[in-house]
Amino acid sequence: MKGCTVIWRRELAALFFSPLAWILFALALFFEANFFLLALVQGGGEVNGALVLFLGGGWPFWLLALFVPPLITMRMISEESRSGLLEFLLTAPVSDAAVVAGKALAATTFLALLWGCVFLHAAAVSLLGASPDWGVLATAWLGATLVGALFSAVGLVASALSGTPLLAAFLAILANLALFFLPLLRDALRGILGGRVAGLLERVDLHAHLSGSFLRGVLDTGHVAFFLAWTLAALFLAVRTVESRRWLG
Amino acid sequence: MIQVAHLTRRFAAHTAVDDLSFSLERGEVVGFLGPNGAGKTTTMRMLTGFLPPSSGSVTVGGFDVLKDSLEVRQRIGYLPESVPLYREHRVLEMLVFQGRLHGLARGEARRRAGSVLERVGLAERARSLVGKLSKGMRQRVGLAVALLPEPEVLILDEPTSGLDPLQRLEVRRLIQDLARERTVLFSSHILPEVEAVCPRVILLHKGRLAADGSKEELVRRLGGENRLRVELTGSEPAEAVRTALAALADVRAVVAGEPTDGFLVFELDSEHDVRAAVGELARARGWLLRELSWQRPTLERLFARLALELEPVRPEAVGT
Repeated sequence: MKGCTVIWRRELAALFFSPLAWILFALALFFEANFFLLALVQGGGEVNGALVLFLGGGWPFWLLALFVPPLITMRMISEESRSGLLEFLLTAPVSDAAVVAGKALAATTFLALLWGCVFLHAAAVSLLGASPDWGVLATAWLGATLVGALFSAVGLVASALSGTPLLAAFLAILANLALFFLPLLRDALRGILGGRVAGLLERVDLHAHLSGSFLRGVLDTGHVAFFLAWTLAALFLAVRTVESRRWLG
Repeated sequence: MIQVAHLTRRFAAHTAVDDLSFSLERGEVVGFLGPNGAGKTTTMRMLTGFLPPSSGSVTVGGFDVLKDSLEVRQRIGYLPESVPLYREHRVLEMLVFQGRLHGLARGEARRRAGSVLERVGLAERARSLVGKLSKGMRQRVGLAVALLPEPEVLILDEPTSGLDPLQRLEVRRLIQDLARERTVLFSSHILPEVEAVCPRVILLHKGRLAADGSKEELVRRLGGENRLRVELTGSEPAEAVRTALAALADVRAVVAGEPTDGFLVFELDSEHDVRAAVGELARARGWLLRELSWQRPTLERLFARLALELEPVRPEAVGT
């Protein structure tokens, strides 16, 4: 994957050059801080529950996780294809896979930093005398980052498919929602497709995978592999879509 | 250095490049000519490996563009027509990024960026944001980006578009300079430019190879005759003068133009330069010569001829 890190660095730099990244960061932090306080008050001072709220522990996390990655990845391929920069990258001596992987890594890094802000809250409450469970926070952060990687990869597929960033964001949000709510289809489909398909769908339950291990402070390779496998599948699709752009000219 | 064999590219029903074959030697500078839509850009994209051909093959330095794509890309410096640059970066950052993509160490990339910017005359703009530069400057940054990896082959798609005449001259000089060490294929629709820079010209028309050869050869083979414009006055009637001119050796045809201010106007088509013979004749007959100008056949005329021949103008189709 020669060139992957070069592209990763440039994409990350470009993200932080753009006002969008900072606006997203500011909004997310504002949102996080408010919910953290609310959860802290409602939970009667239960620190850990309030902290993991934004690491997969509740709907506020999913709200950000479903909508922020598409906004980060929307421009990465669609706009470069328009401006001719994709032509520049795809004629440089790096593989298509390295280009896509570098972009996915940049988006994931951004999200990892965004989720990592929870550690600021944790540090603050620990200074005030509470004792957050750092182990749980670490695994929960890893889980949240894996979710971020998956949604970034999906976002890149959408960006590679679309002609404009707006369409890419819209497509990616739809795809993320579909992926997230897939388990809800299980009851509806059980009657039509039989138990086996429904059983398969049950396994694509993102929330269950997250809360089943990462949120309990357990690193289970099975659950890590689940997220990595889906992310790789989406990345593969993104690479093929970029390749197909060559054929279309 | 570059071998192109039976290259064809179809887009749905439209054939953009049709059975194109040519080869470029190391150190050659070749002008790629053709009207808009002739398939120049499509061909260049296939040479760089960006666009896979529908059929046919391209090898660069012995490497197949499809099979050893990365090897080929390592050897080619490509400046697309759209001059793609990251506008949010500074000029130096853009160049270092290109160097890093080509596997150079950061220090080496910076060093080369400095010398390449010197070469395109932008050394003092290294810290400027790419997006803030004028079109002509961006064009030169694009050229610097293509030059940075010191590629063996340079493929430049309209490198002088958007430049003012002075910058154009500089770029032309730069290309001539580069030609000493590298193979350069450069496209343009500005014919005098190609004439000035490239000893060899490849002419495309509707995706096909219309002509390939040295400039002189092409002009001789396809450009047709020399043309001489004569304006003179004398005691003889116009018809007698015309016959006398037509009787000169090597003159193929004489066309009489509209007389202006009492001077007769003729245009002579000839095999060679016949100015001396016309002058001699004028002296012998006692004509007063006002103009005797020789129009050397140019690529421009060749181009027009070729385009017209292959695509006859049909006046009956107009105005219905």
